[in-house]
Amino acid sequence: MAEKFDNLEEHLEKFVENIRQLGIIVSDFQPSSQTGLSQKLNFMITGLQDIEKCRQQLHDINVPLEVFEYIDQGRNPQLYTKECLESALAKNEQVKGKIDTLTKFKSLLISELGKIFPEEMTKYKAIHGDDPPS
Amino acid sequence: MTEIFSTLFGLNDAQPSTGPAGLGFAAGKPPPPMPSNQAPVAAQIPGQLGDEGPTLRKPGAMNEPFYLLRELPVGSDLTGNTNLITYYNLEHAFNKFCGKKVKEKLSNFLPELPGMIDCPGIQDGSSLRSLIEKPPVCGNSFSPLTGALLTGFRLHTGPLPEQYRLMHIQPPKKKSKHKNRHPRPQDPLPPETPSDSDPKKKKKKRDDDPDRKKKKKDKKKKKVSDSQGKLDLEDRLYHF
Repeated sequence: MAEKFDNLEEHLEKFVENIRQLGIIVSDFQPSSQTGLSQKLNFMITGLQDIEKCRQQLHDINVPLEVFEYIDQGRNPQLYTKECLESALAKNEQVKGKIDTLTKFKSLLISELGKIFPEEMTKYKAIHGDDPPS
Repeated sequence: MTEIFSTLFGLNDAQPSTGPAGLGFAAGKPPPPMPSNQAPVAAQIPGQLGDEGPTLRKPGAMNEPFYLLRELPVGSDLTGNTNLITYYNLEHAFNKFCGKKVKEKLSNFLPELPGMIDCPGIQDGSSLRSLIEKPPVCGNSFSPLTGALLTGFRLHTGPLPEQYRLMHIQPPKKKSKHKNRHPRPQDPLPPETPSDSDPKKKKKKRDDDPDRKKKKKDKKKKKVSDSQGKLDLEDRLYHF
């Protein structure tokens, strides 16, 4: 899995470096630079071909759209991962609190109902069985 | 209380009713008898409510005195009660992203990428969202450029106009505290331009020092005096 990403990363780095060098040549063009420019343009095309070959290995990778919003705003995409983990932990704690509260409520309710309706509660327990505290 | 409970749920046991006052309720009408169509309605309910949740148990003697008694939901092993971060082995990732401070800018994530990448993509039309909403024309294969096609890439000599010089704009680099950094492979030096030539910059830096200015003045004075001395000698020689 990591090899596929390493391969793509390598091709992208070479592509970006080629484009950067192309920009340097163009920024102050000289007649002697024409062959170099043609070579860089063809390197750009082969770079795009290599990147397209990598596409087949990564067809099952899904990227959340929210990450694109972070990148478009010039923000670090690792912040999205951080916020996902933090919100997952917060929600986990919230749900655990609800489960604990409802478990306590259930045990209290059964004990109080057992005091008020002892016969009915014994019948209820006979039907449902003694539910273990979850 | 139990008598009211029983009469409401259709028990026919004859039990002495204590009366509402005895049970703490105000005087009023006795509870209405069970309507005759109640049982068939109850039989229809499981079919209707079965889609919404746990199925109702069949009404009848087995569930007395309970009228609507649902099956308890099947418990799942994974609930919010377990620490899901630990369950999915994300502790390392959690410590990595949430334990340390993650820098805000995109350039901290991609330090080697040239250009101003911290600016919003909407400003220069390079946003990823626009790429998704308006995807470019795909399907054609990439073929290298032939000689005839390359004639379109013949450029005029000379530097680019200022408005198109995006490559030279770089975000201000912070001074690194670590001295032993892996040196970046040396980039091909860009051709000198009037505004970017290094020796001229060096000359400007040198000119700014006040000490050097004084030294230059002294040198000039010496040169002038030397040259005057030489001229006098030459004049004398010619006159002989």
